[in-house]
Amino acid sequence: MRLNWFLPFLRVSKKGPPRKSPGLVVRLFSIIIPKRYQSNTISGKPGPLRKLLKKISPAWSASPLRKLSQTAFFILFLVLFFYVCWPYSAKPAQVWTGWQPLEVDPDSGVTSLINELPPPASLAVGRVVYLADPTYEPPPGASEEERASSLGAFVVQSIEEKTIRLKPREKLTPQQAEAIAFAAGKLTLHEKPPGAWPVHYAEERDRKEKIAAEAILIIDPLVSLSTGLASRAWVWSLVAAGVILIICVFIPRGFCGYICPLGTLIDLFDWAIGKRVTRFRAPDDGWWVHIKYYVLLGTLIAAMFGVLISGFVSAIPVLTRGLLFIFHPLQTGAHRGWHNVPSIHIGHFVSLILFAAVLVMGFWKPRFWCKYVCPSGAVFSVFNHFRATERKVESTCINCNKCVEICPFDAIKPDFTTRVTDCTLCQTCGGACPVDAIKFVDRGNRVELKVLNDPPTHETAIGRRGFLAAGVGIAAAGIGGTAVALTIKGGARLDDPTAWRPVRPPGSVPEQEFLQMCIRCGECFKACPNDVLQPLGFEQGMEGLWSPHVVADFAGCEVSCNNCGQVCPTGAIRALSMPEKKAARMGLAIVNESTCLPYAGREACQLCVDECVAAGYDAIEFIRTGTRVDEQGNPIEGTGFISPIVREDKCVGCGLCQTRCFAINVAEKKLLDESAIIIKAGAGREDRMMTGSYVLQRKREAAAREEEMKKRFSN
Amino acid sequence: MPAAKPSNRKMTYPPHHGLRGRFCALLLIVLLASPAFADSIESLSGTVIQGKIVSRDDKFVVMDVALGGKTVQRKYGLSLIRAIIIDGVREELKPGGNTPAPGPRLGPGVNPGPAGTRTKAEIDKLIAEAGRTPPDWFEDTPLNLPKSLDLAWPEKPPGGWNNQVNVGQFVWDVINPNDKRWREGIKFMQQMMDMHKNDNEKRQRAMSSMAGMYHHFFQDYARAAYWWLQAKDRTDWVGVAECYFRLGNKAMAMEIVMALRRRPSYPISLVKLVADMGETNLAIEMTADTIKAGSNAADEAMMHAGDACRLAGRFKQAQGYYEKIIAMPDDKNNKRSKDRARESLQGIKLFDTLDVKKVADGSYKASSLGYEGQVEIEVKVAGGRIDSLRVSNHKEKQYYAALTDTPAQIVAKQSVKGVDATSRATITSEAIINATAKALSGAMK
Repeated sequence: MRLNWFLPFLRVSKKGPPRKSPGLVVRLFSIIIPKRYQSNTISGKPGPLRKLLKKISPAWSASPLRKLSQTAFFILFLVLFFYVCWPYSAKPAQVWTGWQPLEVDPDSGVTSLINELPPPASLAVGRVVYLADPTYEPPPGASEEERASSLGAFVVQSIEEKTIRLKPREKLTPQQAEAIAFAAGKLTLHEKPPGAWPVHYAEERDRKEKIAAEAILIIDPLVSLSTGLASRAWVWSLVAAGVILIICVFIPRGFCGYICPLGTLIDLFDWAIGKRVTRFRAPDDGWWVHIKYYVLLGTLIAAMFGVLISGFVSAIPVLTRGLLFIFHPLQTGAHRGWHNVPSIHIGHFVSLILFAAVLVMGFWKPRFWCKYVCPSGAVFSVFNHFRATERKVESTCINCNKCVEICPFDAIKPDFTTRVTDCTLCQTCGGACPVDAIKFVDRGNRVELKVLNDPPTHETAIGRRGFLAAGVGIAAAGIGGTAVALTIKGGARLDDPTAWRPVRPPGSVPEQEFLQMCIRCGECFKACPNDVLQPLGFEQGMEGLWSPHVVADFAGCEVSCNNCGQVCPTGAIRALSMPEKKAARMGLAIVNESTCLPYAGREACQLCVDECVAAGYDAIEFIRTGTRVDEQGNPIEGTGFISPIVREDKCVGCGLCQTRCFAINVAEKKLLDESAIIIKAGAGREDRMMTGSYVLQRKREAAAREEEMKKRFSN
Repeated sequence: MPAAKPSNRKMTYPPHHGLRGRFCALLLIVLLASPAFADSIESLSGTVIQGKIVSRDDKFVVMDVALGGKTVQRKYGLSLIRAIIIDGVREELKPGGNTPAPGPRLGPGVNPGPAGTRTKAEIDKLIAEAGRTPPDWFEDTPLNLPKSLDLAWPEKPPGGWNNQVNVGQFVWDVINPNDKRWREGIKFMQQMMDMHKNDNEKRQRAMSSMAGMYHHFFQDYARAAYWWLQAKDRTDWVGVAECYFRLGNKAMAMEIVMALRRRPSYPISLVKLVADMGETNLAIEMTADTIKAGSNAADEAMMHAGDACRLAGRFKQAQGYYEKIIAMPDDKNNKRSKDRARESLQGIKLFDTLDVKKVADGSYKASSLGYEGQVEIEVKVAGGRIDSLRVSNHKEKQYYAALTDTPAQIVAKQSVKGVDATSRATITSEAIINATAKALSGAMK
């Protein structure tokens, strides 16, 4: 087995021993790429491809395939994060207005409509549309089916200037035919059945999500391992972690060299900035070389105590959060106006400092974070013990030291053999080796190897100092992990029923498990329309830092969206279908009867009710308050106010009511200090389930209420 | 003009119905009532369309119909038509017998309206039949009553007002203001009637209450009349009269009206009924009587008279009534009428009399409350036309489509009337429409 893909054919051919059987990839490329782009093997002149790569960087010329892979994954990551998770390309179902009926054939149902202007291009022949009368008001208390009633589904048959002919998909009922023919006003054409629950944000994300938006996050193995361990639950992304670890049996630590977008970003930083600032360069290896193992150990020990700290140190979450906090406000501001950028708090700064620190470490040594600190990388290093392939050096080695110089991971010993736990099989050394002495082959390959310890490495198996250092490190990691766990744990005060509870996204697992499973990557913030979900600061101490909560003063949960659960890499927010999301309660709206304008008798206001009805939940009703009675005890018409009252059986806690009350009564009119209707979480106000259906839960509750009503009227 | 006249009751009850809804209804009535065309056709369920019949073959009637100031030639399938009326001569295509009872709207766009005429025998039969059967939604309507409710329903409940304990107060405070709970209200009263079947007084109370709900909430006149007539000691005769009128027998209604008018006092709602029946002059006469008698409900009577005039297109006279109400000395009982009079006056000004041709050239700004705050528009008028319209300032968070779509519609239509709210952005759309109306009417010469 030979896994060489550093494309030596691009190089000038040197005299010397003939090349050993090149790998499949190399052979394939020498066939595909036209001869004139390759180096001239007779004259020894480097080809244009070789020149170009050399111009970019030594790493590109030594191992172009790896750099291509890095670039591809980095672009994929950016696309997933900034394009797929950007929700605002979603548009509500289209409605074409102003259609006047000209003719309805009572037999075939073929309908002609006319408009003042020619129809837009979006209304093309063959398209399915639903006809409706905008003046139609469904009967009071109508069920969802009744409300969604339309004048029928049609296919656009022909378009002629301002006239359109529609053919019904099913035979029209006489009522429908009459309602169309005798419509007094203008009719509307709809892309979706009118009155149906909107799903445009969910559909748009689904359309764009050719590859799962959280794909890169779930293949960071520490994300799944630590959340699974902390919550003692099956985290579905463990499957992805398993897959990547199996792949890395064949390409040891390949994740770090070929995929990890944080590694690529660090490469970019080192290339653009790091290499220009030399004054901080560390000359040699030092005490830090094994930090990553201690960080990993500490993280796992904390997880065993049920405290998740991998969100602080795990590679991909650090990157997603860093990019989110820097670029999401810019993207939002530039695209949607700066007034739509949520405010920031100290939690943001802590995350940004962490992110900056990861990059700045590059002043010390290139890729310092990856080589010495990254605990996700440490997982791969540990798994490298199960590697099936590795880098080997043959006896033709001329001790030129080029490989040591170029290795980005410090994975080559002074005798040019491999530090197997650090090698990412990036093959840069293979491309740099002038005599093709480096091969990437199966672990058992023993053919023509060079002698070890020549020149001497001065490494001992494990000395007394090394042993002591390792002992101290392990002890520090153990004590540190435990201490961190104990410090952080309890910040959320879960035992205290009166403690403040954040309103979590719809479909969040129970709070204890949520804190243990939420990796704080920020994907949900990115995918959330209108930034309803924002990172928590220190309200729950460190335990809840950066976890998502609903900021309903800023915006309410969009009815047509289920993005947060769909992009969550760990399942802390369950990936709900739209019907389930619609039924999942994230909190309960509570009216403050001492400040709410009509309750307080100040003025009529029904903002929250209108909002709730428009959203389709119908969870806020009116109740007459302050009714005055005459001498006979009969109510006086028009006295008192109609105030809002929340129906607990219908409210899902989306927060749209609070957003509106805040925007108008607090921010705009300055009538109140805080919204008079506020979403609150806590026992009995939200559904926090690991498994099971929210729809069925609602049905069970409705059945129980009906049973109880029957009992009351039976005596 | 007994033609298209949707129930006005629904528009004024419950009081939280939007102002704009009322304007639109009035506008529609005014538009449809303009008697420019002699012919009309009546659909199977009683919708009447007026126009000028152009031709007719064995399948279609072709008619010129005016809608929104423009005439369009429309074809109506003969099989959908009940009657054709040419120059007052009525030709029945599907004579009587299978006429459906007007009630809740039968389907989208099908407006029952008073379907011309029914004989007394037909009306009685209709009422008796409807009363025998519950509406089709009855079975599937869940009840959601507070546990604290006292189902014993004493006539004079002890203690103060408590809408979570006393049935009548629960209906008043909780059921009435919520259209989503009206079906539940009827089912609740039916259950109370069954529960108290041996207590005649409570049974009649339940029946009368249920009749009121069928009438106010669902415009189900047949069932309303049935239950009012059943509740012998508690019959609401103004209500019954209205039911007769809506069901298609004005004579039966007028008989009750005249009988009530002869009494020393009658409910003020009678004036409204008379106005709704198109007897504008009688309504004005009764209003004058009420004022003369020094009734403390004179404000309400004038409100009804004003509405009647506005409905009949007598805007000047309507304005006169509204202004008179506003000029009344303040007291706690007429505040509601005064507020409504102000709204109606502004409505006449903003929508009924708005004419872009009378606006001087220039640029005007106005704002109206939108989703997140004030939406400010800037409209430019040149040569009596809306030249351009744009949203100049706003804080809206989403559905930006309305911010361009609605102004484009207004400019295309050269009017704030008949602009369709952008889908799912109604509040933003309406703010733009209202602000534009404000800016233009404020600038009218």
